Amino acid sequence: MMNIPMHRFKYTKLSKDQVTRKLAATAAGPKSASQLSGVLAGKSLKIVTDDGPVLHYAFKSANRLTLAEGNASAAEAAYGALELKQMVFFSHMVPGTLKGFNVFVDLKSHLATVFEVWFAGGKDPSGQQLDDREVQRQVWFGYVDVAGKKAPEERHHFTNRLEGTGMYWKQDTGIETIDLYPSIISSNFIEVTRHADDLSYCSPSDYILVNDNLVIYDRTECEFSGIMTLYLLDLFTETQVGMRLGFNEKDELEYYMYRGAGKIVGQLTSLAPFDEHGKTVNLAMGGAPAKAAKAAPAGPPPKGQRTVYRPGRTFKNMTPEEVQRAAEKSTVTFTGDPNAPQQQAGMMGGHLLPFSDLLVGKEFTLRYDNEGPGWEYKVLDIYNLQWRKEGTTAWQKETYRAFEADEKLVFFGHIVTGSNPVSCRRIALDLTNGLTTAILSWMGTEYYGNEVSYRAVFGAAEMEGVNAPRYVRHGFTDELVGRGFTRTYSDQMTSMHLYTTAHSSSWTIYTANQTLGMQWCAPALYVKLRDGVYIFDLVEEACNGAETCIIENEKTKRAIGFGFSGGERGVSFGLIGAIARDLGGYDIKHFLGPKAKGV
Amino acid sequence: MTRTQRTSDTIDRHKPDRSRRSFIRKTGAALSAVAASAAAGFSRTSAPSSGGDQLGLLKRRVGNLEDAENVRRLHLAYESSLDRGRYEDVAAMFTEDAEVVFGGSLFSGSEGVRRLYCERFAAGRTGKKIEPAPGFEPGLPELETAVEVAKDRTTASGRFPFSMQVGEPMTGDSSLVAMARLHGEGIVRRWERGSCTLSCVKTDAGWKIRRLEYRTALKADYRPGRVLA
Repeated sequence: MMNIPMHRFKYTKLSKDQVTRKLAATAAGPKSASQLSGVLAGKSLKIVTDDGPVLHYAFKSANRLTLAEGNASAAEAAYGALELKQMVFFSHMVPGTLKGFNVFVDLKSHLATVFEVWFAGGKDPSGQQLDDREVQRQVWFGYVDVAGKKAPEERHHFTNRLEGTGMYWKQDTGIETIDLYPSIISSNFIEVTRHADDLSYCSPSDYILVNDNLVIYDRTECEFSGIMTLYLLDLFTETQVGMRLGFNEKDELEYYMYRGAGKIVGQLTSLAPFDEHGKTVNLAMGGAPAKAAKAAPAGPPPKGQRTVYRPGRTFKNMTPEEVQRAAEKSTVTFTGDPNAPQQQAGMMGGHLLPFSDLLVGKEFTLRYDNEGPGWEYKVLDIYNLQWRKEGTTAWQKETYRAFEADEKLVFFGHIVTGSNPVSCRRIALDLTNGLTTAILSWMGTEYYGNEVSYRAVFGAAEMEGVNAPRYVRHGFTDELVGRGFTRTYSDQMTSMHLYTTAHSSSWTIYTANQTLGMQWCAPALYVKLRDGVYIFDLVEEACNGAETCIIENEKTKRAIGFGFSGGERGVSFGLIGAIARDLGGYDIKHFLGPKAKGV
Repeated sequence: MTRTQRTSDTIDRHKPDRSRRSFIRKTGAALSAVAASAAAGFSRTSAPSSGGDQLGLLKRRVGNLEDAENVRRLHLAYESSLDRGRYEDVAAMFTEDAEVVFGGSLFSGSEGVRRLYCERFAAGRTGKKIEPAPGFEPGLPELETAVEVAKDRTTASGRFPFSMQVGEPMTGDSSLVAMARLHGEGIVRRWERGSCTLSCVKTDAGWKIRRLEYRTALKADYRPGRVLA
């Protein structure tokens, strides 16, 4: 089992030569735990694709074929085929090359969809160098040319019909995954058996509709191993036939076909327009062309183009010293003016709650368990407070902001002035029972100086009028696992939080027509404060290092909290406020956690 | 004074000729209708002294109509290219010494024009045609189209209404913004309406824009596509 998170794993930069040598093993064709199909043996197929290759196949046996691309001479290769319903899926690499074909043939309609795949993709359209180990793909839509028959006009096509669906899968290899399809160009996956931790990841994906129940899906683990998983799924029978190609974390070649059985685990509500019928994938509705697209000439997109978020490449790693120097130049707390009464929350804070005065004039001591910190607080007014470490004499003044996240449940936050590394506190304080949870964060991890570290501590308050319990505490929770919520931070910015596991979450951007598009994932923590009221804290690890720490109240559908980040421009401690919509969720909790792993 | 003695021809579908330049007001009527109206207007004014004068005047007027129509087409092409995000095409519609006034700034010369359209407009997808924001639908009289061709027919000016998206790229380096940019989005949009005035010049390559100025009359935080029913 892999116990290093994929976003922390240092995958080998395999060279083209290394990839070539390793691919020699594909000459034997894909392995398969299930019996491969011989349905194509003895047959010939001419597959014609739109704007793509014409593939002349002759299947000599159940595992040997010859392929002639267009007018080129035929080459022999080993292949594997699996059937699902009226579909035959066959896969092969082309000997002596870095490429292969994965072909889905519909024996009823004679439509065909071809995934041409290759390694060592060179540069993407924006000029970024792609890892040679990363599987590239081009989807060609077409049909099987039948002599004397007119070419069909229909085609398989990209679709949004699977948007929001989630499935648990178990392959014939014993591998279990949870594949969530909340986006039209990306997907979340949780490796239930391959990985030791319950973390989810995101990968660029394609969704192709064959018919109402058959869908072709693929993902490529870009930014990680670069491995590709491609399968045809049947929503009626919740079964799949698939193929996996690429190099795993041990740089071993994986090239196999498989059968799998699964279960639909839930459905997130799609907010796409009702006149979107799943026949088009509509991105960039009225938006500016991306930089790469701007430079691209008119016409079809470059071969292999896909929208891939590669945060690891743009994240500027700073040393702790660099971050501290940047913080000395600029540490912005709410407005930059620590005593300014007006917040300028910007794009992420268009839906703040009013600042709460519930703490004004109060004095209290917060003590956290397990030799956690003990702090005394005096709250001066709605914007300023003083604190000191319990047992010390000197008070330190800070500007703070507080929100009433639920009835008499205050969530306040402040930076710790003068701290090195720069640190901050977000404190949930329940004035009805004295329970408190603090999220303590500071700049820097063992990986990056400008990535936030964080932890949660639980405790109780000593304050007038409150008799806090001695044993009862807030605690970590998995109650939110599988749930999805929109986050409308402002009219210009809405995303979705999908709480994929008890230790991770993804965030997904809505496109202009409210379809879910690009997404990314990171570890996170969840604390239950009350029924329906939770702290959610996420740091965009190996991404931009920023932290989102919010309380979400399911009753009011409001998320309120603080953001903490650092970079060349300094350190920022800001406000976050969003209105939420409950999108539903996935029933996946029972696949996760120690019990599911047999611990 | 007869028309033939004038320093310039005037064609107006509403008024008899009285200014130095030909003037066509257009509120959506087709060119044929304008031409018919102009011809009718001509017939109501003073008669030329001879058949030759009349023919010459008619030729000039037809030429003026053609020029006016070409300027209108130039603007249509400009608008259409903006709408489709073809900013390079837009920049090519200007003369090398062109000036554009937008958002209170002056963009001069080919480089300035390219900077405005291919960078600033492109980054915000500015220029995409959108319908007026709710509550702002009634047209303003000053937003009617007008084209005026100089007597020598080498220059012309025009005024055209616009109703378009104006966008600015979102600032910040959050992952949400970065991901939105990958979608070709990540833009703070607003709607603006007003008129843009063009000064055009006839070149060997046809009519080009020498100066364009946006005059915004209305703006609103509005994105089309919302269900308002």
